[in-house]
Amino acid sequence: MPRVIRSTIIDAPVDRLWAVLRDFNGHDKYHPIVAESAIERGYAADKVSCVRRFTLQDGSELREQLLSLSDLEMSMSYCLLETPIPLFNYVAHVRLLPVTDGNRSFWQWEGRFTTPAGREQELADVVGNDVYAAGMEAVRSLPELQMEGA
Amino acid sequence: MARVYVSSVINAPAAKVWARIRDFNGLPNWVPPVAESRIENGEPADKVGCVRAFSLRNGDRLREQLLGLSDFDMFCTYSILDSPMPLTSYVATVRLTPITDQERTFIEWSAEFDCTPDKEQELIDGIGTNVFMSGIDTLKRAFGG
Repeated sequence: MPRVIRSTIIDAPVDRLWAVLRDFNGHDKYHPIVAESAIERGYAADKVSCVRRFTLQDGSELREQLLSLSDLEMSMSYCLLETPIPLFNYVAHVRLLPVTDGNRSFWQWEGRFTTPAGREQELADVVGNDVYAAGMEAVRSLPELQMEGA
Repeated sequence: MARVYVSSVINAPAAKVWARIRDFNGLPNWVPPVAESRIENGEPADKVGCVRAFSLRNGDRLREQLLGLSDFDMFCTYSILDSPMPLTSYVATVRLTPITDQERTFIEWSAEFDCTPDKEQELIDGIGTNVFMSGIDTLKRAFGG
């Protein structure tokens, strides 16, 4: 079972970064591969078990379900329900930790999944680079996370 | 229960930083207030349960016991057995996590303990600044920033 981990340091206080990431329906506002996103059945985006249905820039449609959300731990987990990409049993975890030295944030994004034999590396690269690392770089440059006076 | 939490970034791969941290007898090499250290009963420093007896530059003497050590998850947990500090039930953990985007290391050093309310803030500041952050600053310098 491939396991993909990406982590980085964001130069913003952890509560401000968490305010962006805890919005399970917010990825279409920053992630370069996400075109549109909506929470099904009109549920709130922080209702555990809600489902986000979203389309990628290439037109493909995915559904993901929120499995856990903790404002105390600043962590969340979600799984893929439907996807045209052959990622099965996909569960992802996002967690933030404060960097007290400099009031910055540590952000880790991790996923596990199964795939058809022989495609493990290819899909691990897609998840790690196109989804996680690209999402981190996009969030890093959000105006609301820039240090005041910088 | 009081809690101290200090975290930072070291510009070196986690495996290299871990090689320094995992030596339970190595405090004099990287924590400035510590003058000398030895492991009691001639036990190896990575034997879980071993006790380090060490002295500070101000003459204080402490004994700490290794409760957990993981080369896989890169953490080290220990408790204070004897110290001149007015606290009890002290358990601390140093943990390293790789930062994948630039081969850096996220280091966390935390502790929980019991003490009387009037001593709490002084102990939190003293441990967090003089021990944890000063040790981390040594590592940052040793690994170039």
